[in-house]
Amino acid sequence: MIAALRRRARQWMFKPRGFERGEMFLHRRRVYILPTNAGVGFAFLLLVLLVGATNYNLALGFALTFLLATCAVADMYLTYRNLGQLYVRGGRAPSVFAGSEARFEMTLVNRSALDRYAIGVDFLRDDGPRYLADVAAGASTVIDLTIAAGERGWLRAPRVRLVSRFPLGLFRAWAYWQPDMRALVYPFPEADAPPLPVAGVARADGRGGAGDDDFAGIRNYQPGDSMRSLAWRQIARLDLADGGQLVTKHFEGGGADELVLDFNALPVQMHLELRLSRMTRWVLQAEQRGLPYGFRIGAQDYPAGLGAAHQAACLRALALHGIAAEQP
Amino acid sequence: MKRPTLSSLRARWSGFVLRMPRDKADTLTLLAGALLVLAPHALHLPLWVTALCATTLAWRAAITVRGTRLPPSALLLPLAVAAAGGVWLTFHTVLGREAGVALLVLLVAFKMLEMRARRDLYVVIFLCFFLLLTTFFYAQGIGTALMMVASTVVLFTAQLSFQFTGTVPPLRRRLWLAARVVLLAAPLGIALFLVFPRIPGPLWGMPEDAGTGRTGMSDSMAPGNLAHLAQSDETAFRVRFIDPAPAQPQLYWRGLVLSRFDGRTWTQIQRLRPASAAAHPTRGPAVRHEVTLEPSGQRWLYALDLPDAAPQVSGRPSAISHEQELAAFGPIDQRVRYEAVSHPDYRLEAGPALPGAARWLALPEGFNPRALAAGEELRGYADPAQRVKAVLHTFRTEGFAYTLDPPPLGRHSVDEFLYETRAGFCEHYASAFVVLMRAAGVPARVVTGYQGGELNPVDGFMTVRQSDAHAWAEVWLAGRGWLRIDPTSAVAPERVQQGAGRAQTRNGGLTALGHLIDFGAGASPLFERVRFEMAALNNGWNQWVLNYTPERQRGVVESIAAALLDWRSFVALALCAALLALAHARRVRRRGDPIDALYSALCLQLSRRGLARGADEGPNDYRARIANTPLAPAQKDAAVQFLRLYSAYKYGARPSPASLAATLKSLLTKFR
Repeated sequence: MIAALRRRARQWMFKPRGFERGEMFLHRRRVYILPTNAGVGFAFLLLVLLVGATNYNLALGFALTFLLATCAVADMYLTYRNLGQLYVRGGRAPSVFAGSEARFEMTLVNRSALDRYAIGVDFLRDDGPRYLADVAAGASTVIDLTIAAGERGWLRAPRVRLVSRFPLGLFRAWAYWQPDMRALVYPFPEADAPPLPVAGVARADGRGGAGDDDFAGIRNYQPGDSMRSLAWRQIARLDLADGGQLVTKHFEGGGADELVLDFNALPVQMHLELRLSRMTRWVLQAEQRGLPYGFRIGAQDYPAGLGAAHQAACLRALALHGIAAEQP
Repeated sequence: MKRPTLSSLRARWSGFVLRMPRDKADTLTLLAGALLVLAPHALHLPLWVTALCATTLAWRAAITVRGTRLPPSALLLPLAVAAAGGVWLTFHTVLGREAGVALLVLLVAFKMLEMRARRDLYVVIFLCFFLLLTTFFYAQGIGTALMMVASTVVLFTAQLSFQFTGTVPPLRRRLWLAARVVLLAAPLGIALFLVFPRIPGPLWGMPEDAGTGRTGMSDSMAPGNLAHLAQSDETAFRVRFIDPAPAQPQLYWRGLVLSRFDGRTWTQIQRLRPASAAAHPTRGPAVRHEVTLEPSGQRWLYALDLPDAAPQVSGRPSAISHEQELAAFGPIDQRVRYEAVSHPDYRLEAGPALPGAARWLALPEGFNPRALAAGEELRGYADPAQRVKAVLHTFRTEGFAYTLDPPPLGRHSVDEFLYETRAGFCEHYASAFVVLMRAAGVPARVVTGYQGGELNPVDGFMTVRQSDAHAWAEVWLAGRGWLRIDPTSAVAPERVQQGAGRAQTRNGGLTALGHLIDFGAGASPLFERVRFEMAALNNGWNQWVLNYTPERQRGVVESIAAALLDWRSFVALALCAALLALAHARRVRRRGDPIDALYSALCLQLSRRGLARGADEGPNDYRARIANTPLAPAQKDAAVQFLRLYSAYKYGARPSPASLAATLKSLLTKFR
């Protein structure tokens, strides 16, 4: 209840400013500062020292009290200075599959002659920041902030909070930043998808036939396979040292046409997301097996192809299917 | 075996420090800070507390270095309770100041063994700061202040060491960071010290042990009292003369008048009784002077003989007695400053007869028979002044010696001194002289106070030390009033001429060690100079830091206000501010590339015309956009050319000509 109230108060006080493009400069008015619990304790200590010095009329006691009080003020300034006048900019935000973690790259740039220490950076959360960074004078630091990618489509980076308590921990300075960053979330690839609809496609056209020398994908190398049939292009992409295996081109009989993954061919009564999910798996499988595949969804129709760009285009189409207006 | 060289030792040490995991190094820093705070307390605490603390800290250090576990609280709790019990047994309380400090010290030491969360770190550091304050119960000198600053820096170093999350700079840099905090804070702290309104303490009743350990004149005089005091080099008070200072032999600082004698000890005849105003006509010029009295725990105020009125002492009433003694109501347990007006050339009760003369003639029965008989003999001189002279002559000629280390005296102290030991300090002479005078029928009394003082040429302050404590006599002669007679000067005139410290050296009252540490009496002028500088520094410290009373504060604040209201200083301040702002602006401008600054200026000009550069727009894109906008042709051309030049400067392979800035500037002017 109280936590909810606090959250609402915070939302009201630190209203988002809208998305910020490009580099953000943490100027004075963007940095908030308040004493920490230790700072409140320090204030209490100052009070006790003042009372003690007054009661015993200790000149040096007054000196100590005032010195510590102004040290706290200096700490407040230095805490602000540790965070303030820093430049922050967003970087890449690679596309991910739903259900995994989206990664937003951020760069802290320190153009001042002051080393910055212990800056916490994270998306707005109730607990403390998960990422801590130091930025040396005239240098920059890159941090990857992660967030769970839930639904397919565009995932906007949430508000970012930067926090610092350095040097003495008596004050906590923080600033908000709403980066203009988004990551594309592909549909979740169905776990136990049916096999690639190779035959199905051929049969649908009625042109399927038996043939012995049609390329039908790749399979793991088995002793006895001829050297000529090794799938060199796929082998080059695999790291043998990393557990990769030699693969052999796999020929199947039948003069099947090229593989076409057609969203519209999937049963309409199937749930939309499940259909997208299955298509996603198929795209991945086709890509993994090195089978050139055509792709159709709605009005979009990609000719058969293979490779990262083709796969990205297909997955993008799946991710954004039915999502009305593409956000800027 | 090869002896390790310094550099190899250093390398080994830094290797040790570098190899140490971070939390260990941080804990050792914290230990160092705590040690710095606890060490000064070792001088005052009971030995067992000091030993226990040292053990605990050593234990903590061992745990840290070895990386073993902290002891369980099942072990710590009984230990802590036992320690608190020990404090109770030692002090019979846990509330007094000394007991409280002992408890706090133990608390910090034990808390060190029970640090688990970051909160505990703050608790330890804050406790250390409070302990730092309690150090000032015992000393508030310059050294203590320096120690305070050093401790603060080390404690802050420990505090900030725990704040790092990634890279941790080396200890020297962290120390510098903490020192930077203190340096940044110092000017404001000093300003606060000067102007923060002070409430005169105490806020509640002082604990009983607040004023222990002070030396000063007692309100009675027995053989050995003053001699004991004279071995203390502590400052009794300092004097700043407003009028020209009298010569050294006139520097008698009047304290108490003692009249009642019990055969051994002189005491006051009655408690202080305020005199009627302007009781005594004075003669000669007045000498105004300002006295800064150290806390003595007694009520007595000292002024040059003879003060004419009770001084105004800040925050407490004071009075002058019929015998011209000055006193405050209540013991002086902090430094006070007051202005006194004295008349070195005075006449006191100079009538033909002395009212109540009997009490200045009383002697105890059954003591010092030989002295009494000698006094009776003196009545042979018809003129009382002759009797005084005769006694002084005796002192001068019959082998009397002045010594700080007189032989002990028995029941008939005056007789033994006059006829057997013949060696004594001022109190012996004053006492014997007054006894002889009273026996001879001359009203006489003992006056205690100080004589002499050392003028510091650096700041013009005169320091009067406990070693300047002195006792002399006053006799009453008809028509002349009370006259000051210093029998000691008959024996050791240099005591009065030069002051006590130098007289001692002549009379062998000082040990060989004293010679080594006493730079006085014709030591090298450099030493003398350094000593005076140190004393002036110390005195300035006392005047400005330790004795910064609310009155003085009011004066400072008023003078600051007056200075600020004065138009000249106002103009000067405004000028300084303007210069600072200018310097800052220059620095800011210089920070960046001048070409970049021109680029920003162009962007600003264009944005005023509604053509703001997008955040992600480079100069080339910007140029392309501007080329397609309806802008005055001359301005458009200038902007396009500017952006082309800028782009070439920024991204081109070849270096741009030196005249680029001028060209860009001229292009920029086309927008105005």
